[in-house]
Amino acid sequence: MGSKTTGGDKGGARVIALPADFRLGSVADVKAELIDAFDAPATQLDGAGVERVDTAALQLLVAFRREATARGQSPSWLGISDVIRDAAGVLGLAQALELPAPMPA
Amino acid sequence: MSKAGLAQFQQVFIEESLEGLDTMESSLLALDDGGDAELVHTIFRAAHSIKGGAATFGFPEMSSFTHEAESLLDEVRSGKRPIDASIIELMLRTVDCLRGMFARAQAGEPLNDAVAEGLRNELAAAMGRGTPVATTARRNVDQADAWTIRFRPHAGMLAGGNEPLRLIRELADLGELAVAPSLDALPAFAALEPTECHIGWTIELKGPVKRADIAGVFDWVEGECDLEIEAKHVVADIAPAAAPVAAPAAAPAPNVADAGTARAQREANAESSSVRVSIDKIDGLINLVGELVITQSMLDTFREGELDASRIAVLEQGLAQLARHTRELQESVMGIRLLPIASVFNRFPRMVRDISQKLGKQVKLELIGEQTELDKTVLEKIGDPMVHLVRNAIDHGLETPDKRRAAGKGDTGTLTLHASHRGGNVVVEVSDDGAGLNRDAIVAKAIQRGIITSAEGMSDDAVAELIFQPGFSTAAVTTDLSGRGVGMDVVRRNVSDLGGTVTIRSTQGKGSVFTITLPLTLAIIDGLTAAVGEERYIVPLVSIVESVQLKADAVRSVAGGGELFRFRGEYLPVIRLHDAFGCDGAIHAIDDGLMVVVEGDGARVGLFVDGLIGQQQAVVKSLEANYRRVQGVSGATILADGSVALIVDIAGLVRMQGRKKAA
Amino acid sequence: MAKILAVDDSASMRGMVAFTLRNAGHDVSEAENGQLALDAAKGGSCDLVLGDVNMPVMDGISMVRELRTLPAYKGVPILMLTTESHTDKKMEGKAAGATGWLVKPFDPEQLLATVKRVLG
Repeated sequence: MGSKTTGGDKGGARVIALPADFRLGSVADVKAELIDAFDAPATQLDGAGVERVDTAALQLLVAFRREATARGQSPSWLGISDVIRDAAGVLGLAQALELPAPMPA
Repeated sequence: MSKAGLAQFQQVFIEESLEGLDTMESSLLALDDGGDAELVHTIFRAAHSIKGGAATFGFPEMSSFTHEAESLLDEVRSGKRPIDASIIELMLRTVDCLRGMFARAQAGEPLNDAVAEGLRNELAAAMGRGTPVATTARRNVDQADAWTIRFRPHAGMLAGGNEPLRLIRELADLGELAVAPSLDALPAFAALEPTECHIGWTIELKGPVKRADIAGVFDWVEGECDLEIEAKHVVADIAPAAAPVAAPAAAPAPNVADAGTARAQREANAESSSVRVSIDKIDGLINLVGELVITQSMLDTFREGELDASRIAVLEQGLAQLARHTRELQESVMGIRLLPIASVFNRFPRMVRDISQKLGKQVKLELIGEQTELDKTVLEKIGDPMVHLVRNAIDHGLETPDKRRAAGKGDTGTLTLHASHRGGNVVVEVSDDGAGLNRDAIVAKAIQRGIITSAEGMSDDAVAELIFQPGFSTAAVTTDLSGRGVGMDVVRRNVSDLGGTVTIRSTQGKGSVFTITLPLTLAIIDGLTAAVGEERYIVPLVSIVESVQLKADAVRSVAGGGELFRFRGEYLPVIRLHDAFGCDGAIHAIDDGLMVVVEGDGARVGLFVDGLIGQQQAVVKSLEANYRRVQGVSGATILADGSVALIVDIAGLVRMQGRKKAA
Repeated sequence: MAKILAVDDSASMRGMVAFTLRNAGHDVSEAENGQLALDAAKGGSCDLVLGDVNMPVMDGISMVRELRTLPAYKGVPILMLTTESHTDKKMEGKAAGATGWLVKPFDPEQLLATVKRVLG
């Protein structure tokens, strides 16, 4: 597994670092971490280090965001790699994932 | 991508396919003897591999041919069709036909011939249909300039490696996309099985695209998703030819544009050949090289310091080690070229079966020593002489069942092929328990052919020798079996070209034994170094009978310019090597030089040289490859002092002499 | 560059596949049959498996089924190298967990196009 959750709170928010290889083989582990995150007042997803991603991974994030929003949490993005942005665009999931517009360099 | 780089695999393909055909043949024969069903799988697999590779490596004719055979085998394999003698027969002929095709492929000739065409039709007929027709599976070709695609993967699709991400990207290559996910079936987070897919998509595709192209994107996920492809705007101005009722488009034809290139590759391949070597042998070599390096570094320590008595002992030990490793390395490297004779032996069960059936004879074939190894070059060339001996044994040696009964023998004759190592040679015996040679018939024939005038005083062995004479044939009628215009003289010539000998031992009424003795390898020979003037020649040890010092008057000139000398009751012709090869400064007086009695091509001659220097192993270098073919010389070698010595081809020299005499 | 496992009992076919893919910059390992491929797969994951259907010891279909039981091979594309006469084999392969197929005969360009299609 590329990277684990830092578990660290940042302004009360739980930061979850998504693994570099975020695909079918790692979604079950990430799901377990995300379940824990529901206990925190807020979560931040760090996807800056994600190098490979697939439909299963983005589907997991969509389901997580829906669940968190329903619980009154508002998950935000701490970092988004181009790989995530590209895949979300192809699958039409950018909106469901609430990806912020890319920062101009 | 370089085509040339791929050519190497074409050669590998041909080699493994020939092995596959051998397997098919032996399995078919075993099946004929009541073998089990596993054999059918083995046969099927071999045919399948050939079919799969043939088109890939540029032989589409072979692929379509094998396809017919494979279909038939598939029916047998799946139990739809019982295996019977007629199918085995058909398959055996298919094997033969494919061998022919591979031979033509290697020669760069067109693969198909009348036999192949006929057999293809027979195979198709056996499958219960006429001339095979290429299947023309057609997809709906309707075209539109905008499409709606509704795609909902089944839960398990992701685990099978099909990624919607990839599929949608492929669609994006066709035209402009608008992708809308449908998340209504996505379960609550806790209930989500994260490796399953619960999202569906509605995709709008804009662009002039054919339905088939869209369906093609999803070809691997048929059955793993719900898919609807709906045309939004049908293109109005479709050309009539593109209408759905149009003539079916050409079936995907094998790419013929590359035929020229493939041909060129085949031609290039025909020249080179390769040997497949077991990993064990390679590992053994690497091991030896390792030892050699250690010894070398040990010897290297002697560069420095004083060389006192104690160190000299170590040095000697090191040199002895070096000698041993070098010899072992030489043996191992030679071993790479050695292959079991089984590949030649394996041809015979089939051949013996066919010939004995045709002649109404019952023959049991025994193969002994199939694992005996010999040089690949020898192996490739020994097949034809052996085929001739085997045909001969069944045709002329073994009797029909009633004749055998009359002679008090069992109905079934035995033909034995026996290979073994004897010293540095490989000995192959072809023996039968048939009628043996008929002395009277041979004598009568030899007299009729003008080979001898009378057999008086000739031993049985000498009479048997007659069958090796050019122009001699024992069969009154040339049958289609052994009569291919090839006589025993050609068998002897072929074997002697390999540096070997053929002899016969026969007992009337009991049978005959033909013994072929071959060198283990052609790459190294044992020879005696002979001096002729300033030149050195290597005389192969196998051909040397004896060397004698003669008195000046022991050699007599005869009419026509030849010279003879008496040796053990026979008169042998003299070949003066300095004459044959035009050497200066050689000894001319008989009593100053040495007469080496050698045997080649069934004849003995005296080779007159200055003297013999010593025995040595000579690594044979091809003269043909480096210069050109030279009469009476089989190759060259480098002597210890760095000079070049030619290796005398005794049989060639004898033939040269014969021609000179005839001229 | 991707890690690719090429499985075929035919040395020529396997050689052609490996040669072509290596030339395209991929890291290719080879296996002679399903069992050897499985042994190799247990030693580590890869990005793509190309496997023949008809092989001795362990055929391609069983190989796919076994590979899919390995966690590291869930979702990894596995393509069957098959001949067009065996539509049923394609389906059998799919049922065992194969991603798709490549129909023999294929030339290097077709192979690369298919691999590109799978690996993106």
